[in-house]
Amino acid sequence: MSLAADSPVHSSSSDDFAAILDAELDKISDASADTGEVSEEEQDSDHGEESDSNLDLKRVKRRKVELCEGITDPLSSTSQGEPAQTSGVLSLEKEACLHPGAYGGLCVKCGQEMDEESGVAFGYIHKNLRLANDEIARLRDKDLKNLLLHKKLYLVLDLDHTLLNSARLPDITAEEGYLHGQRDSLPDTLKSSLFRLDRMQMMTKLRPFVHNFLKEASNLFEMYIYTMGERPYALEMAKLLDPGDIYFNSKVIAQGDCTERHQKGLDVVLGQESAVLILDDTEGVWGKHKENLILMERYHFFASNCQHFGFNTKSLSQLKSDESETEGALATVLKVLQRVHSLFYDPVSFPSGAQG
Amino acid sequence: MFFHIVLERNMQLHPRHFGRDLRDKLVSKLMKDVEGTCSGRHGFIVAITGIESVGKGLIRDGTGFVTFPVKYQCVVFRPFKGEIVEAVVTMVNKMGFFAEAGPVQIFVSNHLIPDDMEFQSGDVPNYTTSDGSVKIQKESEVRLKIIGTRVDATEIFCIGTIKDDFLGVISDPGANP
Repeated sequence: MSLAADSPVHSSSSDDFAAILDAELDKISDASADTGEVSEEEQDSDHGEESDSNLDLKRVKRRKVELCEGITDPLSSTSQGEPAQTSGVLSLEKEACLHPGAYGGLCVKCGQEMDEESGVAFGYIHKNLRLANDEIARLRDKDLKNLLLHKKLYLVLDLDHTLLNSARLPDITAEEGYLHGQRDSLPDTLKSSLFRLDRMQMMTKLRPFVHNFLKEASNLFEMYIYTMGERPYALEMAKLLDPGDIYFNSKVIAQGDCTERHQKGLDVVLGQESAVLILDDTEGVWGKHKENLILMERYHFFASNCQHFGFNTKSLSQLKSDESETEGALATVLKVLQRVHSLFYDPVSFPSGAQG
Repeated sequence: MFFHIVLERNMQLHPRHFGRDLRDKLVSKLMKDVEGTCSGRHGFIVAITGIESVGKGLIRDGTGFVTFPVKYQCVVFRPFKGEIVEAVVTMVNKMGFFAEAGPVQIFVSNHLIPDDMEFQSGDVPNYTTSDGSVKIQKESEVRLKIIGTRVDATEIFCIGTIKDDFLGVISDPGANP
């Protein structure tokens, strides 16, 4: 079975002619490539036979070129992909796969096994998922276009002391014992924002105004949670903040997802860095992205927290009071975020105070 | 693909179970231990259909446990490369979607989703064609081809594609029957 007549190897010495032939063959479907193969066989034995079909004519032309160049080895076998390679369309599929990502060690595009460790792990989206750097860049660009279309930006939110305050049950002091009481005995403000998680032995107090904040911010931003806490804790908090799983679906990043120890990075966030705003109470963890950071005032509700940070005053829980809803840190920060958003999308309509 | 095969396993039984119902207790322990697990070689053991034989018990030295070699018939599920399966979509995101075909999770990357389908984020993330006629969202049924499998000690990972002919959405969750 000699298919040497159409071997790319043989036609490589007359590149232009081969390129023209390839372009012509591109227009011909696979089916005719098969029939072409058969008719070519006949031609090998019947030298110079001319037929009316374009395909056969070309094959005759090719053979003439070969004979001129003195290449005569009709019995040399080429790869099994031979008939496919004669038509330019299929030859494109033989290009090496760029391995855009891996799931469970398999390339997501060609299914080959890959070694781990290349690219970035996105365990928070799904376990065992990794993406190559090129792919991440491509996805970021694509997503940015989509985002600009919807007039949104990205917002990365910290959990502890920014949106809420948690304390371990053993650390709750006697003065705070009233928090343990039945739901009904708690003052109204606490009923909807104080939660007890027995499984994790913790109590959590959501910052005042947090639900409104998330609702308003979600109209302007695509939001992520990024915490230095562990994954189960992060997921529980996300459930408290977002019971409907609308804001943070597959967007909860925990300590285990960080690529650098004790440092948060935007490399695991699938968004263009230049369009990301970060809201955090700690500056030290955002070493590489200080310019994207908006520093928040810390929220201390529980007494154990105040001690931990070295304050000697009574905590909000001991004073039985709380941050103001309408004038607290979250409300203020929301106004700042709204300003930033309009600066970005509507610089013309903004008063001149924005310059500088 | 599903197979019906005979497997063997050594079951250890605590002496407190010895008595009239020894064999029944052995079988129920076998079912509890084995059903739902995955072995790299055979795939996921879906259900035990029958016990072929229970060998002689051997008392272990030192403890009172007795080991019985049990031969049992079971239905196993093993995905293969090149196989076409029908799966239910469980998660959709910008990178592609995850679908479940029984016990195995298959990932279909957006590289292997037809180019005319675009990702739409929102309350219900989905992939939709430009004219809106075909939609892939959570709970949709899709027919896909498995292009790669990798077997761990306890898990099987699969990559799939819907870019070929006759693959894609079979039914929409919100569609009227």
